[in-house]
Amino acid sequence: MDVVRLDGVSKAFGAVRAVDGLSLSIRQGEVLGFLGTNGAGKTTTIKMLLGFFRPDSGRLTVWNGDPCEPATRRMIGYMPETAYYYPYLNVRELLAFYGGLCGMPKPLVRTRSDELVERVGLAGAGSRLLRTYSKGMLQRAGIAQALLHDPSLLILDEPFTGLDPLARIQLRDLILEQKKLGKTVFFSSHELSEAELICDRVAILKQGALVWSGTVHDVAGDGQQNLERIFLKMLGDVARKEAP
Amino acid sequence: MSVRVLQLKALAGLSVLELYRRKDLIVVFVLSAVILLPLALFSPFGLSGASRYVNELALLLVWLFSAVIGLGVSVRLFPPEFESRTIYPMLAKPVARGTVLAGKYLGALAASVSALAVFYLAFGLLVGLRQGVWFPMILLQAFVLHVGFMVVVTALGLTGSLFLTPSANLTVCGLLIVGMLFFGQRLPALAAAQPLPGKCALTVLHWIGPHMEFFDLRQRVVHDWPALGWGVCAAVLAYAAVYAAVCLALARCVFDKKRF
Ligand SMILES: Nc1ncnc2c1ncn2[C@@H]1O[C@H](COP(=O)(O)OP(=O)(O)OP(=O)(O)O)[C@@H](O)[C@H]1O
Ligand SMILES: [Mg+2]
Repeated sequence: MDVVRLDGVSKAFGAVRAVDGLSLSIRQGEVLGFLGTNGAGKTTTIKMLLGFFRPDSGRLTVWNGDPCEPATRRMIGYMPETAYYYPYLNVRELLAFYGGLCGMPKPLVRTRSDELVERVGLAGAGSRLLRTYSKGMLQRAGIAQALLHDPSLLILDEPFTGLDPLARIQLRDLILEQKKLGKTVFFSSHELSEAELICDRVAILKQGALVWSGTVHDVAGDGQQNLERIFLKMLGDVARKEAP
Repeated sequence: MSVRVLQLKALAGLSVLELYRRKDLIVVFVLSAVILLPLALFSPFGLSGASRYVNELALLLVWLFSAVIGLGVSVRLFPPEFESRTIYPMLAKPVARGTVLAGKYLGALAASVSALAVFYLAFGLLVGLRQGVWFPMILLQAFVLHVGFMVVVTALGLTGSLFLTPSANLTVCGLLIVGMLFFGQRLPALAAAQPLPGKCALTVLHWIGPHMEFFDLRQRVVHDWPALGWGVCAAVLAYAAVYAAVCLALARCVFDKKRF
């Protein structure tokens, strides 16, 4: 069953075609890596999946629903690209706030946040205001808020950015654990090695259009090609197409 | 508790927490204590005129501070969310944009009314200590109508914040509020004395501007006039509610269409 489905989705900002006729689907239980150069349109696609704005053309559904409807977002956990949370709160207060927004009762929020604060390695800094957090610590808080309401679809925008090697491994394990639980994970990244390690399938975007999509099995089985080579080859292809 | 109520509580709680954590309010409280305390200790040797003057000054300060707090909180409800991008994880949660708007508004209102209550308590104690009259009915009514004023001020500040930058919004709303408070009653007379363009502008302002003078019972409190009929109070509060509802409906239209 397709959890996410995009059919010829386009979005332009003035003259910039951020997403250009993108068709893509994500199956239940799949971990999909969304790769592409800076400005390729990854974040724009993710924002449309969360209903921040609608596509100019094309069709986009999440569980056959419109993500602009709050009910559709009930099962989505999202971690934004830049981790910036309320500086005057501590991480437990932050989670209590988001728990309230998800309509979770207080006792449930408390147990979930105890669990998650521990899980993302912030237990020692649980009572400190977020203003005093480092970039990686904020990123960890972001992971915790994305998982808070136990969503079945995780949408993570560059989740590995700013994490130390240990936290990176923890996040990798966490994503694989979510997969084991039958959850679907969609994440954008510039970390090809991470993507190769944890993804079932990879989609490569260039200037808003899908240029390659395949399984990690394709990557490994493609002679001695790894993801980096495919990535470079695809960008080269596009560069050739663009040349007059 | 329904999901909508939990969401409203979370949003409103955040605005209140922010106000108290950022210590702006503490500064205002300390400032008002520093100004009001000498007034309380100042004994006007039984001169009722001087005592009245002290009360008038104190109430003017309460009005000034309340407008500063109401606007200060409401103009900052959204711009920091946009700037620091906290709006993204918030709107990604299963919450309707209308609920976000309502929750934030209620938070700003709760925060400013809580500060207002402290001011009136302090004023009531000051009057009680000096004049031996403890919390007369007219003071209670003045507080209730002042809450109506906050209802309108916070709605104006919030709505403006979706159209203007915080400083522009603060200036426009501040001028509108102070202008209407002091000249609102005289607008028709002022309009009549103007040449045509000014006349039109003032007449429009008279019909659509927020009539802040409706909420102002300072003179009645200072001169210890009899209390208003509660029907009048209810009508003024209804005016506040309708005015705020119109502002928020406008804000909702803009916020719903806003692309992030
Ligand atoms: N709000 C906006 N207004 C104007 N242009 C925008 C806006 N958002 C994105 N763009 C443009 O759309 C294109 C795609 O941007 P997007 O943020 O989706 O890229 P990305 O793949 O996430 O890049 P990165 O890897 O750097 O995060 C870029 O050219 C960007 O400048
Ligand atoms: Mg991006």
